Amino acid sequence: MPGQRVIAVLLPGLCLLAVTTLSSLALDEAAIRLGSLAGPGWSAENVSLSIGWPQTDTASVLLTASSAELPEPLGRVTGLKFVCAAARLGTQDIGCTAGVLEARSGLLGRQKIDVTFNYRVSDGRLVAQLRGIRLLGGQLALAAHVTAKDWTLDIDGRQLSLQAVTALAGKLGYALPILEGDGHIALTAHVRGAGSELADAGLQARLQGTGFSNAAGSIAGEDVDLSLDVQARPFTAGWHLQLEVSGDGGGFYVEPVYLAVSDQPVQATVKLDWLTQRRVLVLHDVDYRHPGCVELDARGRISFAAATQVTELAVDIREAALGPLYKSYLQPWLAGTVVGRLDAAGALAGRLVVQDNTPVSAHLGLQGVNVADQDGLFGFTGMNGNLDWSDTDSPEYSELSWQGGHVYGIALGPAQIESESVGNKMQLVRAAEIPVLDGVLQIDSFKLALIADQSLRWQVDGLLTPVSMKQLTGALGWPEFGGKLSGVIPSVNYEDGKLEVGGVLLVRVFDGVITLRNLRMVSPLGLVPRLQLDALIDNIDLEQLTRTFSFGRIEGRLDGHIDGLRMQSWRPVAFDAAFATPGDDRSRHRISQKAVDNIANIGGGGVGGAVSRSFLRFLEDFPYDRLGIRCRLENGVCEMSGVEPAKQGYYIVKGRFIPPRLDVVGYADRVDWNKLVAQIISVTGTQEIVVE
Amino acid sequence: MRALRIPMSLFLLLFATACVTINVYFPAEAAEKAADRIIMDVYGSPPPQAPQQPPAGPQSQIEAPGFPYRAVAVVLDWLVPPAHAEADLSVNTPAIRQLTASMEARHRTLAPYYASGAVGMTHDGQIEVRDQKLVPLAERNSIRSLVSEENRDRSALYAEIARANNHPEWESEIRSTFARRWVDNARAGWWYMDSAGAWKQK
Repeated sequence: MPGQRVIAVLLPGLCLLAVTTLSSLALDEAAIRLGSLAGPGWSAENVSLSIGWPQTDTASVLLTASSAELPEPLGRVTGLKFVCAAARLGTQDIGCTAGVLEARSGLLGRQKIDVTFNYRVSDGRLVAQLRGIRLLGGQLALAAHVTAKDWTLDIDGRQLSLQAVTALAGKLGYALPILEGDGHIALTAHVRGAGSELADAGLQARLQGTGFSNAAGSIAGEDVDLSLDVQARPFTAGWHLQLEVSGDGGGFYVEPVYLAVSDQPVQATVKLDWLTQRRVLVLHDVDYRHPGCVELDARGRISFAAATQVTELAVDIREAALGPLYKSYLQPWLAGTVVGRLDAAGALAGRLVVQDNTPVSAHLGLQGVNVADQDGLFGFTGMNGNLDWSDTDSPEYSELSWQGGHVYGIALGPAQIESESVGNKMQLVRAAEIPVLDGVLQIDSFKLALIADQSLRWQVDGLLTPVSMKQLTGALGWPEFGGKLSGVIPSVNYEDGKLEVGGVLLVRVFDGVITLRNLRMVSPLGLVPRLQLDALIDNIDLEQLTRTFSFGRIEGRLDGHIDGLRMQSWRPVAFDAAFATPGDDRSRHRISQKAVDNIANIGGGGVGGAVSRSFLRFLEDFPYDRLGIRCRLENGVCEMSGVEPAKQGYYIVKGRFIPPRLDVVGYADRVDWNKLVAQIISVTGTQEIVVE
Repeated sequence: MRALRIPMSLFLLLFATACVTINVYFPAEAAEKAADRIIMDVYGSPPPQAPQQPPAGPQSQIEAPGFPYRAVAVVLDWLVPPAHAEADLSVNTPAIRQLTASMEARHRTLAPYYASGAVGMTHDGQIEVRDQKLVPLAERNSIRSLVSEENRDRSALYAEIARANNHPEWESEIRSTFARRWVDNARAGWWYMDSAGAWKQK
């Protein structure tokens, strides 16, 4: 407020000058036209002064000016009028106990200010008070105390409107957002100085408001109670500043972060230097406390000379509760990523060092951390670890362990991973073993690299010891069946959202073997995971298979292949599959009445019980020569064929030549896949094979 | 020179006809119908009644000719899909169903924001926070997440429809078809952006 100071000092001085001259002439009343007056940085037009002496020791003073040009930001002021009914014009001191100053200015509007001042002639001490300054929607009072040695200025503001304050700051060239709505500020400031030098300044302010926001709504507050304490002291290169901010209540939104202050205040204490010439902010100590959420320290140096540059910054998270930290500070930035919808809990500490806008080292400590995807895709419990990274050439050691976890509902047991990183590359120090259901995924090597465009690439070599299919199918919500899944996984590569399994996965099931090859997955944890593989089915026991799916007993063996299986969201969209009785099969070939009925039912058309209604119902099962089916799925249509062509159509089950002979013959060669699946589900009574 | 010019022009002619031959036109009408089906699923309106399929004839039968050599043959005539009579746009893939289901679930949360005008539809088939001052403070970052997740699904949907129909190059036409149909199917009072980028209320 340099303008106020000018008025406070200037007007009493002017009066003093005029009054001492006139009172020596011993007049009862005097009026004088002073015309134009000017000084360094100011000028006034049509100045006139009149003084009367109704009593000997007091005088009435009227000083007017049509206009005045005052230093910016006050600018042009018009209609200046100062009245003091009881001015004291003594030889020892000069003063006014109840003066009124009226003026109109573009910046401050129409003003009527109560003025009190006292000037002591002997030592030049001036005490002045200006009250009732209507400013920024509220009222401001100034008190100045000037001696030959030094001066102080006290400012007291009440009910200043936040909107007016931010608008004024904008007009004065500060890049602050203009906040509209209900918000008001109470403040007191104390400034000390000597001559034109400022010694120090302190400001206490309190912002309260039911609701305010900038025009875009990206910065807003609700039921806000915010206190600010600033101490400033100039030094040769700039300012020493100490700031204390305390959010005592309400909710704050600074896009994209929303902070709700609960019963304990959110506080920040900052000690910093502002180097005026170099436009550099030196952060000596930042202490931020959000009770129940995070406590951190920071130090650093930020330059605003050209583009904003974080020359150096070290942030220490002393302690944090991951749940609230994730919800308030992390989640808004992670929307739409794999970790964008987590339930998280546990304790976290960490350190991040940034130099020249680039992170150079990081440490993350986890203690008792639980995370779980809200859609149930994955989760880990009891995570502990220390993760270290730096961009130097010296290796950093990290360890991470968990008590349990799951991926797609498949339970993972406790495991510990120890790794070493150099720059943006990381690898395991020793082989890790992750229990998967009743088996173990042994990871011999794991290499991870962060590529330039922030995407991840990793590679795993490992081995899967047998996992019981009973548990696996149960976990995936599939129809339960026996057998074991195992495999050598020579190389699993993940890059650009694509996962590729280099080896062969072996499923020993139904007394046969299924081998899975060329397994590829795209966005495995995304909304629409895509999977691609080839499968070979070797010598499966049909009796075990049909028993598992309660399909009706079929005895015999089965070979087959599924080539080019492509799945979206775990549903097949394309494959070329064929299953048939092996050519050299010597096992017993029987198909039960129920199985034949079920095949007929899958065919549709309401011929359920076709066999059981005929005389054949007396036979429990039938011998067959060969059976088989082939389906080539594309664009929702399955091109069907059987084990061999019939006179019309194709044989699905070809009977033995000896009676009672039974054939199952298919006619249609194009079948709607979704309807076929629906029929199979209704016949077998199993759930659709879906992983949610 | 002349000898050279003739093969050259022949080549150009061939090239031009080849261009015409491989050009498959975007089935605009079918795309609108497909878009409407998906949008109605997402918005939660009952889809228009599909014409009833005529009941199929007997699809399997028991035969017993030539007894005793052939006791019985169960003849299966699997359910055959009706042939597509006209150009259609396939939207019945697992990925499209998954994306539609995801958007349908999200729509229940988004609908009040459409109604209040906080969120509007853009002219490129996405949605945008139109006026976040209409959103309570505590919900502002969740609405941002919702909008970005919805836009991710919508972009994936347009690409997926194009890909499912073996014409990835149709993506932008599918996107603009959807952009129109999202607005046409929207409830009165919802906000949308016109082609000049100005917000309008339906």
